[in-house]
Amino acid sequence: MKIRLAVALLLAAPLAGCGINSVPTAEETAKAKWANVQADYQRRADLIPNLVETVKGFAKQESTVLTQVTEARAKATQTVLSPDDLNDPAKVKAFQDAQGAVSAALVNIRNITEAYPELKSSDNFLALQSQLEGTENRINVSIKDYNEAVQSYNTIIRTFPDMIGAKIIHGAKPMVPFQSQPGSDKAPAVKFG
Amino acid sequence: MPEPALALTGRVVDDAGLLLPQQEATLTRALAALERDKGPQFVVATTRSLQGRRIEEYSIDLARAWAIGSAKRNDGVVLLIAPNERKVRIEVGYGLEKRLPDEFCAKVIRETIMPAFRQGDFPGGIARGAGALIEQMRRAPMASLGLFPQRPRMAA
Repeated sequence: MKIRLAVALLLAAPLAGCGINSVPTAEETAKAKWANVQADYQRRADLIPNLVETVKGFAKQESTVLTQVTEARAKATQTVLSPDDLNDPAKVKAFQDAQGAVSAALVNIRNITEAYPELKSSDNFLALQSQLEGTENRINVSIKDYNEAVQSYNTIIRTFPDMIGAKIIHGAKPMVPFQSQPGSDKAPAVKFG
Repeated sequence: MPEPALALTGRVVDDAGLLLPQQEATLTRALAALERDKGPQFVVATTRSLQGRRIEEYSIDLARAWAIGSAKRNDGVVLLIAPNERKVRIEVGYGLEKRLPDEFCAKVIRETIMPAFRQGDFPGGIARGAGALIEQMRRAPMASLGLFPQRPRMAA
């Protein structure tokens, strides 16, 4: 009994250090963080129909930017990135570009609302604006958390001894970090005084 | 987890020195009662400097480093005032998003806190703003009318 236990431990010991457990855990963590990124982008998409209707109510002549955001949203909804594609740089880029087009369209909407004080001060628009800003902020936080998880994972699969398990058993490929959104380093302007 | 920018010395962390001792004490009692009666952990913080960072980044890092709110319920709230950068932010844990949605918090900042601050009345703005949030959290649970279905989230 004791000898068998000792043999079992001897066999187990080399495996423990070589990434059998740490690699899938790091990968699952990154994929779960990715799910949060996706949920937050979806949340933004869900706000857009309401935004379009509200802007139309005050500024229906601004059909160009309204069409632009509607189309960008539709394209982004169709550009799917599954968790298994997170190590494919081309697919990640396609997803990011589609979401980037939504971001750009939203900036254009924000710019034209400057010319419509009644729109800007309407309760509906103020509520929407706060929801959009809140959602953009959540997206940025989720991207940051995801990138940290990706960095952990990418480091583990490159570092001895975990890379042994990574290469032999998991065939692990590095995951692609997300670019932070353009303008995410600029604050929206709510200030007092 | 990196060190928080401010030490969590109590429910009110008045780094910028905006409150008199009795104002801080009154607020602390209200925040403690909220946690005792309803559960959420609400911390009011003022900071002398955002250290060149956006207030959104500063506040979430602070809330996470302080581990405000229960990990299970994600029911922490931070009201952060940065008087030198002239910024205010209400940071809400995911578990409270239906009770304190974005549009409600934005309205409290816009209609209750900012007008007082523009008059130079920091204690009044803080007390009334915190009061509005506390009152909202004390309400009996509303029927679920949130815009967003609860999505499972992984805690940070």
